[in-house]
Amino acid sequence: MKALIVDDEPLARERLSALLRDAGADVIGEASDGRAAVETVAKLHPDVVLLDIRMPVMDGLEAARHIANLESPPAIIFCTAYDEHALAAFEASAIDYLVKPVRLERLRTALERAHRFGAAAVQKVEQASGEHRARSHLCARVRGNLVLVPVGDIHYLLAEDKYVVVHTSKGEVLIEEALKTLESEFSERFVRIHRNCLVARDRLAGLLRGPDGSIHVKIEGTDASLEVSRRNLPALRKLVRTL
Amino acid sequence: MIANVTSNPKRDGVVLQPSWLPDFCSAQVLFAVMIVAELLVFIILIAPSDETRPLIPRLTTASLFVQWLALVSAVCLCKLRPRLERLAPWAGVVVAYALMLLVTVLGSELVFAIDAQLDLGLTLPAQFQSRFVWRNAALCALIGAALLRYFYVFAQWRARVRAEAKARFEALQARIRPHFLFNSMNTIASLIPQRPQEAERAIEDLADLFRAALGNDEAQSTLGEELDLVRRYLDIEKLRLGDRLRVAWNVDALPASMHVPALLLQPLVENSVYHGIQPLPEGGTVSIDGRLENGRVEIAIRNPRPPENARMVGRHGMALVNTRARIEYHFGRRGELEIDAGPDYFACTVKVPDESRPDESVTR
Repeated sequence: MKALIVDDEPLARERLSALLRDAGADVIGEASDGRAAVETVAKLHPDVVLLDIRMPVMDGLEAARHIANLESPPAIIFCTAYDEHALAAFEASAIDYLVKPVRLERLRTALERAHRFGAAAVQKVEQASGEHRARSHLCARVRGNLVLVPVGDIHYLLAEDKYVVVHTSKGEVLIEEALKTLESEFSERFVRIHRNCLVARDRLAGLLRGPDGSIHVKIEGTDASLEVSRRNLPALRKLVRTL
Repeated sequence: MIANVTSNPKRDGVVLQPSWLPDFCSAQVLFAVMIVAELLVFIILIAPSDETRPLIPRLTTASLFVQWLALVSAVCLCKLRPRLERLAPWAGVVVAYALMLLVTVLGSELVFAIDAQLDLGLTLPAQFQSRFVWRNAALCALIGAALLRYFYVFAQWRARVRAEAKARFEALQARIRPHFLFNSMNTIASLIPQRPQEAERAIEDLADLFRAALGNDEAQSTLGEELDLVRRYLDIEKLRLGDRLRVAWNVDALPASMHVPALLLQPLVENSVYHGIQPLPEGGTVSIDGRLENGRVEIAIRNPRPPENARMVGRHGMALVNTRARIEYHFGRRGELEIDAGPDYFACTVKVPDESRPDESVTR
């Protein structure tokens, strides 16, 4: 059984690695944050991932959601030292988890029954723990490779057919998500300017009137100018004035 | 006066249950009694009365008389306080009230008799003896009731302030426990096979931290002890976080023997690590700078502040609010907790008066 260890504490990884060897598993890699975990899973295809919850960059719950959306996702076992809310949430959704310090016997049983949790189950945990925060990254695929885009890097999102094009400072990627769900998940970060477009509030550089009388949005740090629909204009005007 | 009374928890701590009756032998309460007595004198003189005699002699004799009665009552209440406190509260109030009236009646009789004997004409003509005594008793009854009520309300208020400070202390103790305890246990479990000596050290540090965290609210600590506690805490966190946690100490200027409330600094440093270092993948530096400034000890704890989307959720400022309230409780207006939150750094500064050696620290 190929196992991946994800924890931001080196000593915790060390101990888990020793325990996994004792339990007869093969430790094929380690990662120190959620984002690295998702990328490593996509690269190494482990059978099981031991995932800490509190980590920098991307926490364990979000990483689990991204992992569960991959093709043939590995089993996930959550590990946590103490997280009242998360623990209660796991109980409620019957997702298996380990508490640190982990016991060898307990690790063995967890490996034996290592369920596969879908993204929906993890989402349920997030909601039950009262932490249904917006994701910190969007997950895209570029030529079969997994790409994680930090939400903070996104300039604007443009819907095209059944895809959404994510425009960032480093270029653009396609994601298979609906603009509407993105809008409600990241309502604090993005503002709708058109039926097909969401713009990051902190990238709004101003409004421009085109020669034909239509209004466009200038995006900070790019040459892009995006058309504003008449319906979204009043709210946007108000927002630009407060900037 | 209020600030002085509340910022002296040590003496208050001797009384197990907050009493409704104040310590009449304390200078502050005596002073309050004398002020009230003098106000009463002014009221008596302002009220329309016999205007044939000049004001100043009347003021002097009335002040002497009223202050004398007030102080005799206060001394009696002071001496009888232990006994009064053993009674049921309502019985205690009745007895204290009766005692004040008795002192006034007896005092008035005595003064009237002396005045009549010496024929000084300070009180009233001889046929008005009972009127003089009963008027004084009635005044005493009204003012005494108001005064006792004031002391009662004051005692209640003070008890509530203390209870609040205690609750805040307990909240601070509680927050150190679960999350940190289990992480530390995990660290120690990881160290045992390869580095048993470090594991031993970590257990010793952890024991010291929990000894402090399980101590009680009245426990005073010294600045040196508090700084040691912070060192132990950071040693444990360094094992856990590795190179990500760096610490810059600059506390040589601080007087180690100065008395401070227990757990004054550790919760703030824990906050720094939790909110400032842990969310950053590359970690950062927690700096602790101490200095003496105008007789005040200033300890600044500074940490990097992660970008908004990487910040930890929950527990917003609990340690800050509680520490601020405790500083206020222990030092009154002379202490404060200053918070400076920049876009990429966070600093909080504890400022408390150096009570150990006030003169030395000013001249240093």
